[in-house]
Amino acid sequence: MSSSNDIGMDALTEPYREALRRGEFVVQHCKACNRDIMYPRHLCPFCYEDDLSFTPGATTGILHSFAVHRVGSPSGFEDQLPYAVGIIKLEGDVQFLARLWPDAEGDWGQYELDGEVVFRAADADEMAERPVPWFGLPA
Amino acid sequence: MSDTEPVFIGFGEQPSGRYPNRPFMGDLVRVGAAAVKDADLTMGEIDTILLIPCLHSPADQADLVFSRVVEELGLNKKVKAQYMVHSGGSTSDNTIRTAAGLIESGQAKNVLVLQAEKWGSAPVKEMIDMLTANGIPREWEKQSGVSFNAVGALIQQRYMHESGSTPADMASVCVALRDWANLNPNAMYKDKKLTVEQVLGSKMVTDPIRAFECPMLADGACALVLTSRGNARKLGKDRVVRIAGEGGCVSHYSIGQEREVGKLGWEIAGPAAYEAAGWGPEDADIAEIYDSYAAVLTSGIEGLGLAPKGEAARMFARGEFSPGGRLPTNTNGGLLSAGHTGVGGGTALLTEGVRQLLGRAGPERQVEGATRAVCGGSGGTYMDSQVLLLEGVSA
Ligand SMILES: [Zn+2]
Repeated sequence: MSSSNDIGMDALTEPYREALRRGEFVVQHCKACNRDIMYPRHLCPFCYEDDLSFTPGATTGILHSFAVHRVGSPSGFEDQLPYAVGIIKLEGDVQFLARLWPDAEGDWGQYELDGEVVFRAADADEMAERPVPWFGLPA
Repeated sequence: MSDTEPVFIGFGEQPSGRYPNRPFMGDLVRVGAAAVKDADLTMGEIDTILLIPCLHSPADQADLVFSRVVEELGLNKKVKAQYMVHSGGSTSDNTIRTAAGLIESGQAKNVLVLQAEKWGSAPVKEMIDMLTANGIPREWEKQSGVSFNAVGALIQQRYMHESGSTPADMASVCVALRDWANLNPNAMYKDKKLTVEQVLGSKMVTDPIRAFECPMLADGACALVLTSRGNARKLGKDRVVRIAGEGGCVSHYSIGQEREVGKLGWEIAGPAAYEAAGWGPEDADIAEIYDSYAAVLTSGIEGLGLAPKGEAARMFARGEFSPGGRLPTNTNGGLLSAGHTGVGGGTALLTEGVRQLLGRAGPERQVEGATRAVCGGSGGTYMDSQVLLLEGVSA
């Protein structure tokens, strides 16, 4: 999959992606109003200041919903099938789409909505190709 | 009601499905000519054309923007303005708002709304990739691999969790729409039956959505004509359709940012519309609400007060929204069974609402005495919830 970025976006995307490559998960934070923001924005959507930086994200979240791709995928994800994506809600009132690790059975049947999920990094190669946080069931 | 009040006075439609021999521009001018004739107008009396976008081809989209339709319809130097409104699947609602404002303010006299799409004949993989590229933040969330079916699946998973609806309940939504499509000669699935067993027996595509719960991309075309009520009377129209109320809510861009994916923005969109109309959901005779996946429709029905919270899918299973049911819903078969004509899926539902309220849906499908319709549209990743309350009245 193409990792091409839009013009001028590197300053915003690179710190986020670089953290994922290191196995860490960060969220954007506005120092002016002390709120977390996801996905990262150009101006704070709450106070419209641009005093924005990245801060370590909570590693535990709540699964709002998820979907398991079994047949058909966007181009570039064919070799990933089957795979699951979920909407994760974190403390600090942020939410985002993430990949979900398979459960102990190798499927996603043990995931429950409103249940707890934890950040568990994928390897650097995967993050270089598809920079997005991965969450799994608590150990 | 005032003479300047905007009303629908005509419509045109081409059958939805796979029609590779029907060119895009041909469909547009044919539905346009049919709608103008249906309105008892001549083409030269159209002074404003509002265009609903197509998604199958940037070249055809550019033709729309740069007034090719005006030229193809022989309206050079006759039309005052032609332009496009675009908000994906809710475009028809926003286009009608625009048309209504132009007519009410006197900026337009007779407005022709035109839509055509060639999704059914375009390369499926390309169309799916395009859909996937739209409405998903490409710097942040596209990397999750979320597909368009998955957007529907995220909504359906949450809806089922909150409502306790079973896979069979959700399948019954698709079956009800198929039963309606079987009565609609313009529907893609006009002559193919569907059962709950067939839906549940089809392969899992994106849990919890199965193959027969996904909309099929279709070609299709619709046109609508609006004018002022005073003008409609002069034209000798006895029955017209007025816009009794409208409301809306833009709830998100990315589905990952929707706080309540099982609900979307319907609860916010509805109240203002009902208040303006002076009637409520209990007074509706029919509903025509965006339905590209079952839970998109059930969340709309519930959010607009047409079913108690969490009950819509079970009510589908009991046949309450089917032909002969308590509240006939998506009487053309909806996107799921009339065909997903891109942005046009919402236009087709709206056209069906107008058709029903004019009493012109034919002996098999016409809902007897239908005078009040709740119409809803939603665009992108169900980014908005738009509602138009329509009323059939004498001119
Ligand atoms: Zn701020």
